[in-house]
Amino acid sequence: MDIKHSSPAVIPDHQPSTSEKVLAFLDERLGLKEMQAKMLNEPIPGGSRWAYVFGSILLFIFAMQAVTGTMLMFYYVPTADHAYDSTQYIIHDVDYGWFLLSYHFWGSSAMVVCVFAHMSQVFLWGAYKKPRELLWLVGLALFGIVITFGFTGYLLPWDQRAFWATLVGVEILDKTPIVGDFIARFLKGGASPGQMTLSRFFVLHVMILPAALMALAGLHIFLFRVAAPAGPFKGTTEEIKAKTDYFFPRQIWKDIVGMAFVFVGLCALALWEPVVLLDKATPDPGEYHPEPEWYFLFYFQLLRLKLFAGQFGQFMGAVALPVIFMGLLVALPFFDKDPERNIFKRPIALISWIVIMVVIALFTVAAVINREFLD
Amino acid sequence: MAEERDSMSPTKIGFGILWSACWTGIPIKAVFAVMAMTLGLVHFEGRFGLAFLMLLASPVTVFAAPAIMAIYDTHFGEGIGLPLIFGASIPIDIWALGLVGRTFFLERLKKEPPHDGLGFAIWWRTALIGTLIMPILWGIVSKVTETAISASHSLADMEALRHIYDTGLPVAERIGLELTVWGSISSAVLFILSVIGVSILGQAIRRIAEDCRQAPENYQGLVTRWDLMRVPNDQGLLLASLAGAGVVFSLVFWTILPVTTPHPHECCAKPEVQAEPVYKPVDALNKNTQRLAAVAAQVEAMEKQKSETKGQKEKGKGKPAGAASSDNSKP
Repeated sequence: MDIKHSSPAVIPDHQPSTSEKVLAFLDERLGLKEMQAKMLNEPIPGGSRWAYVFGSILLFIFAMQAVTGTMLMFYYVPTADHAYDSTQYIIHDVDYGWFLLSYHFWGSSAMVVCVFAHMSQVFLWGAYKKPRELLWLVGLALFGIVITFGFTGYLLPWDQRAFWATLVGVEILDKTPIVGDFIARFLKGGASPGQMTLSRFFVLHVMILPAALMALAGLHIFLFRVAAPAGPFKGTTEEIKAKTDYFFPRQIWKDIVGMAFVFVGLCALALWEPVVLLDKATPDPGEYHPEPEWYFLFYFQLLRLKLFAGQFGQFMGAVALPVIFMGLLVALPFFDKDPERNIFKRPIALISWIVIMVVIALFTVAAVINREFLD
Repeated sequence: MAEERDSMSPTKIGFGILWSACWTGIPIKAVFAVMAMTLGLVHFEGRFGLAFLMLLASPVTVFAAPAIMAIYDTHFGEGIGLPLIFGASIPIDIWALGLVGRTFFLERLKKEPPHDGLGFAIWWRTALIGTLIMPILWGIVSKVTETAISASHSLADMEALRHIYDTGLPVAERIGLELTVWGSISSAVLFILSVIGVSILGQAIRRIAEDCRQAPENYQGLVTRWDLMRVPNDQGLLLASLAGAGVVFSLVFWTILPVTTPHPHECCAKPEVQAEPVYKPVDALNKNTQRLAAVAAQVEAMEKQKSETKGQKEKGKGKPAGAASSDNSKP
């Protein structure tokens, strides 16, 4: 037998099993093996890293939010008369309902934390620079969707905290010149908040935002695969090449461990502090001091400064400042053309990031301390 | 010897090993913590974040945490679960420190790691340094924070600031100023003391490394061996074991998870349901029969009494009629 012409992969007398036949049938028609190779055999320059897990963790959290949210929708009634009672029913009468609702609640906070972590990692690694500008822009849009998810979902229990926190947020949007009144009326569904507000927030939360997030997340992953991973920002070419890994199995393993840790962490948070509703929403806040969700607290405290008092001050704080900040983020890949990605050689970027993180932490803690003065 | 000491600072060595080992162990420790919480063995009140940090840094805090709780009368959680979690973290930390230590020695220090016992060697040194330094760090940072807070209160009350604002410093500005002052001082002291502690640990680890010989391979060879060190011999077995552990954890978790909320609201607290007594049909029938018989006897007695009363009345009617006629006959 001529060894050169024999196929080394053919095992003589091997009869394919049923599953092998099915796989071969599908592969011939769908190109499964090629798809698998493209998806799993992606090289990661410099090797797999724990810093790269946040994207996959975000996808996992979204999937868990969709699952728990769907289960909650079996019992939740999105009307002003029954929203509160149906939420109380979920907490007190549905088996494990308290846990599902608490997991969903803490999952929203986890999503905001992971979005911040993911954006910080991309910023510090300089992975927004050419040729990844579009990836950065789509990522910013996804960030906006995640924040809007938290904003719309917060109203649904229809207790005093939910109602008045949302109202404060809508009033801030109302300050936007020209379109502010329209945006506020659109969100409230009229001149004053009520049933229409709840209906619109519910539709946004369960239909429009999930569809938008899935579409943009798909685009984000596609752009990421086209541009390829940026890799580490320091190390010689030899070091980076020596440590090159593939997506499967190393990065997938790290992603799975990250997801498992987040899952266990959310279970712990749900057990430690399950959701507890305040009184049902009323037109009068009474003794309750309206306050937004914790990830908006820093901004809420910032707006309390005298610097942002008065009409002009409120416009500057509530509208101009966030618009300028978001504008800077959008324009970042287009004015930062320096190819250098090492964060320690980009002092402006490093100092800006540290200042922003310190301001957020400082004003969040200040907002918590401020509660004592209000009480 | 001097060249070895110059190659990497003790702070970098200590931080490099401690950071990786803490995060390697926390996913496993977190599972134990969640099981303990679900069983109600441990309750974390307001200090959940601090308790998490203590568990994350358990190589350092395993004996330091009880010391701090005893000396300063402070608590990170209530219940028997807390010492159980810290106890369970010991073998996990020894494994994590061993794994991280071996890879760190090879890849960063370019030294041949010891064959056995590296994990335990690093662990007991870490635990000892933690037990000595953490209570001191806790005391100093608490005292400094207390002093800084009162100093920042005085600063906010300064006359000079009253010139800027007629009615004194507004609340939001006051809180921001005070927090910045005492927060910066407190954070700086905490950071410096932590770096000192990590540096001491790094020096202890470097002394272990000094006894190890140089790794012979070139960089590519080192990286290959470092890479293979992190991969289990039988990956299939490990994956199957982890999948099995995940299934078992999920089943146990859902079995022991309370069905109803452990924090019911006042409005919706369910009334205590007492178990109804077991229904015994024969006893019930007998009881009813007895009751019926008693009622029948009562009815019979009442009828008898009624008929007697009626008879007496009729006799009584006859007498007055006779008495009335005799009265009528009298002049």
